[in-house]
Amino acid sequence: MSQRSWRDGTPVVVFVLPDSSPIHKEFCKKHLGMFAHQLRQTWDRKVFSGTGQAPETVSTVEEMRTLISKTPGAIGYLPDAEIDRSVRSITIREVTQ
Amino acid sequence: MTSLFRPKKVRFTVVSLIFCSCHNAFADWKDTFQYHGFISQNFVLTSENNFYGDSKDGSLDFTEAGFNVSLRPLSRLGLAAQVLYRRAGELEDEEVRLDYGVLDFTAFETAEIRAGLRLGRVKNPLGLYNETRDVAFTRPSIFLPQSIYFDRTRNFALSSDGGQAYGEYESPIGAFSLRMNVGVPTVDKSLEASMLGRNRPGEFNGNLSYLGQLLYEYQSGLIRLAFTAASARAGYDSGQNDFFSNGDVRFQPYVFSAQYNGERLSLTGEYALRNTRLKHFGPLLPNTAATGESYYVQGTYRLTDEIEMMVRYDVLYQDINDRYGEKYEQRTGRPGSSRFAKDWTVGLRWDITPNWMARAEYHRVHGTGWLADTENPDPQKLDPDWDLFALELSFRF
Repeated sequence: MSQRSWRDGTPVVVFVLPDSSPIHKEFCKKHLGMFAHQLRQTWDRKVFSGTGQAPETVSTVEEMRTLISKTPGAIGYLPDAEIDRSVRSITIREVTQ
Repeated sequence: MTSLFRPKKVRFTVVSLIFCSCHNAFADWKDTFQYHGFISQNFVLTSENNFYGDSKDGSLDFTEAGFNVSLRPLSRLGLAAQVLYRRAGELEDEEVRLDYGVLDFTAFETAEIRAGLRLGRVKNPLGLYNETRDVAFTRPSIFLPQSIYFDRTRNFALSSDGGQAYGEYESPIGAFSLRMNVGVPTVDKSLEASMLGRNRPGEFNGNLSYLGQLLYEYQSGLIRLAFTAASARAGYDSGQNDFFSNGDVRFQPYVFSAQYNGERLSLTGEYALRNTRLKHFGPLLPNTAATGESYYVQGTYRLTDEIEMMVRYDVLYQDINDRYGEKYEQRTGRPGSSRFAKDWTVGLRWDITPNWMARAEYHRVHGTGWLADTENPDPQKLDPDWDLFALELSFRF
């Protein structure tokens, strides 16, 4: 979650919906295995101690889709129904070592 | 990328992770520029004794503001700096300072492992809250538990001018992070007041100091365990007509931290042993070494997304061999109750919007162990049983 650049060197740019968004809450809980307030705490600690950067907050799913399709190295999340050809959906696998 | 976020098993029912499909264009480093900031104004009212200004009459002399910028000009290089403004009654002089300013080199990075070096002025990860102690949004309360995060000598352990080596490993059983700081602490006049009674003709300067923290986080912070050890040193350069000769101070805290973060309930406890040693200050201040003990237990409960309640019990002993200051009183004539403090706190936090937050809290305190002489010049007038009420309004961006 703290990864800063992709393997090709492109900076990771993370987009999130506001903390109060039900989609954001569901994403945090289901896919990150954490609560939205934990994510907020983690990022605040990084941003205000000089050890990391914050995700970009977008206000709507439309904005999320547009910005991700335009920004190289961007990552975010959308409800399945909102995914179109401008973005790629990726599957999260559990990594076994 | 698959392990960037590491959930257990994922079924894509409603939300899917999506990714930019344009791989040909390289991101412009200017896109990584970010700025953030905060400002907090506090009101402090005490029944007896002064804390953050003339609090017996109600004090507004507690203001905090910060502004930071960060940038990643290269994939392996990050820059970050924060300027901090602070007004804190008579605890320390009103000032604007560089809070941190770092060049962050990532030496090695995979999805699971990261290692690197931060150079410049780095914050000290002492316990769970020290690094962002001035940012109201990241604190559990208006005043951090004073037994460990004393505001009286805050700058001595706040940051180091030097560097930090760090390593992070996101293992299958949780994330481990190790950080080692080496540098010179940024000391100021408040150290004289705390160690030598008041502002003296001479001056303290920081000496080479060390800090290390090992942190383990289970399930992205559901459980957090940390151990911090530090050795902070400062030397005193005696001034003209000075009662004291060139001495040195060594402060060695060991902090054990544990935190549980549930959906609504968070529980936090920290325990610290603090060794303080003073040497070579001359006949008026014989060499002394004392071990202090600090701990607190804190619970917060999120009633809704906007409202959070907090309760805490915080205990400080300046000397474990004289917990209630009896020997100290016999020796110095100063009240023994200035050598310990037991603080019950209840608080309420209201996140009005994502950018605005308000807080209220009440402390019932027995003992004056973490009050400052600069704010309470006559130790005989300190009242060992006192109440503190505080309000906070904070804005962030």
